Amino acid sequence: MNISMKRIQAIFMKDYKEFSRNYAISIMVFMPFILALFYNKMGINTIDAYFMTINLTLAMVTAFIQSCLIAEEKESNTLRSLMMSPASIADILIGKSSLVFSISAIVLALTVYLLGYKPANVLVLALALAVSIVFYIAVGTICGLFTKTVMEASVATLPVLVIFSFGPMVLGLSEKYPIAGIAEWLPSAQLILLAEGLETAMPAKEVFISFAVMIGWTIAAVVIASILYKKRMTDD
Amino acid sequence: MTMAAIEVTNVKKAFGTFTALEDVSFTINKGEIFGFLGPSGSGKTTMIKILTAQLEQTAGEARVLGLPSIDMKKSENKARFGILTDNSGLYKRLTVEENLLLFSNIYDLPKSAIDEALEFVNLTDARKKKVSELSKGMIQRVTLARAIMHKPDLLFLDEPTSALDPVNTRHIYNGLRKLNDKGTTIFLTTHDMTEAETLCNRVAFLHKGKVRAIGEPAQLKHQYSDHSMTVELMTGEEHILQLDDHTAAVKLSEWMSEKSILRIQTNEPTLGDIFMQVTGSDLQ
Repeated sequence: MNISMKRIQAIFMKDYKEFSRNYAISIMVFMPFILALFYNKMGINTIDAYFMTINLTLAMVTAFIQSCLIAEEKESNTLRSLMMSPASIADILIGKSSLVFSISAIVLALTVYLLGYKPANVLVLALALAVSIVFYIAVGTICGLFTKTVMEASVATLPVLVIFSFGPMVLGLSEKYPIAGIAEWLPSAQLILLAEGLETAMPAKEVFISFAVMIGWTIAAVVIASILYKKRMTDD
Repeated sequence: MTMAAIEVTNVKKAFGTFTALEDVSFTINKGEIFGFLGPSGSGKTTMIKILTAQLEQTAGEARVLGLPSIDMKKSENKARFGILTDNSGLYKRLTVEENLLLFSNIYDLPKSAIDEALEFVNLTDARKKKVSELSKGMIQRVTLARAIMHKPDLLFLDEPTSALDPVNTRHIYNGLRKLNDKGTTIFLTTHDMTEAETLCNRVAFLHKGKVRAIGEPAQLKHQYSDHSMTVELMTGEEHILQLDDHTAAVKLSEWMSEKSILRIQTNEPTLGDIFMQVTGSDLQ
């Protein structure tokens, strides 16, 4: 695979400058803080409540910003200019994802702090969150590549928000409606199960299964995003 | 032997039932400035997209710099050409310099390449301006600066001066000639005949997806000329004389001895006239 750190860094710096001057999108990073402070002040301190905010952050910040950045590049024809340059698919996708990854990591860390959530195993949780960020970046990329404008992209991320952030809530109905049990296999649900397990010293096998499910979703999303990107390189 | 920069053989491109290009063939030698002339919708941009691997032809063969055009998709080949089309976008929140800096880093160029490119398009003073503050013509010049910044072997220009004023158009023409003198082959699409005559070594007329005529502007003018001249006399009379008619020389000699000639003009067709003659329709 043709990867150039110089090109990735150039794309990252360009995205950083663009993002910092695009207030309509950059304001989204503050939303999770408001929600976290609200939960904190209300004294809500359950894992479900913490991860409601965390999963919302992943959808509202990670997927939303990534989809808007990609869609804006498409809307202004700059993505095609990048595609016509010697930057490889990997350079562009990694470069464009690095900024959102960094922003997401910082926002999630601050959100966790503001929530007052002290995970039993910070390292394992950080690893799980890192996998989740990559998954939501890939989903955001897919939304951005599928749509033509920033407006369309912001609408396209709504189902992501509903399915992945609110999906785990459906699990409570699984006794009455067994079909709702499918929600357990969502990466967002696995993240909650993993976090709950960490508090109760979950067996390593269970941790492994949660990670495997999340990684499986992530690989599938990255592959779809890459295929879609390749298709967008041409007008056929 | 002159090496070919572009070889197109019987290329066809269809979008569903619509055929955008039909049996198109031409060769562009290295170092040439080649004009692809045709009205909007004639297939000019489709041809550029095939040559730059943004589209794949339905049939036929297209080779660019000795490689199948589809290979222009590969990273290592993309640095060999530059492109300016109407869908070459810029980052509006970034300055002119920041836009060029991104691509100079991607192409791994020294910082001086930005200065040279800005000088090329006469925009040195606007380097700190945000793209959102620029006029349409200035945006087109920045896009052109980006296309030529890495001094490509081959440059694709789709209507490069369509939004420019005459002064900047002349500046760009001089720059393109200098670039061409240094070895860059230029593939230019335009519907501006003056531009084609000023810049191009050879031109091809494209109409409804087919190449209708191809050649050097002077050669085409000769080929499609009716070989006549118009003589206007002091009296206001106008006479059209056929150059291959021996009586024309006699008449001319008479008028000259009478000192009654006001103006003599050869009736050479413009490229626009030739296009109309060949296709039966206007270039605009």
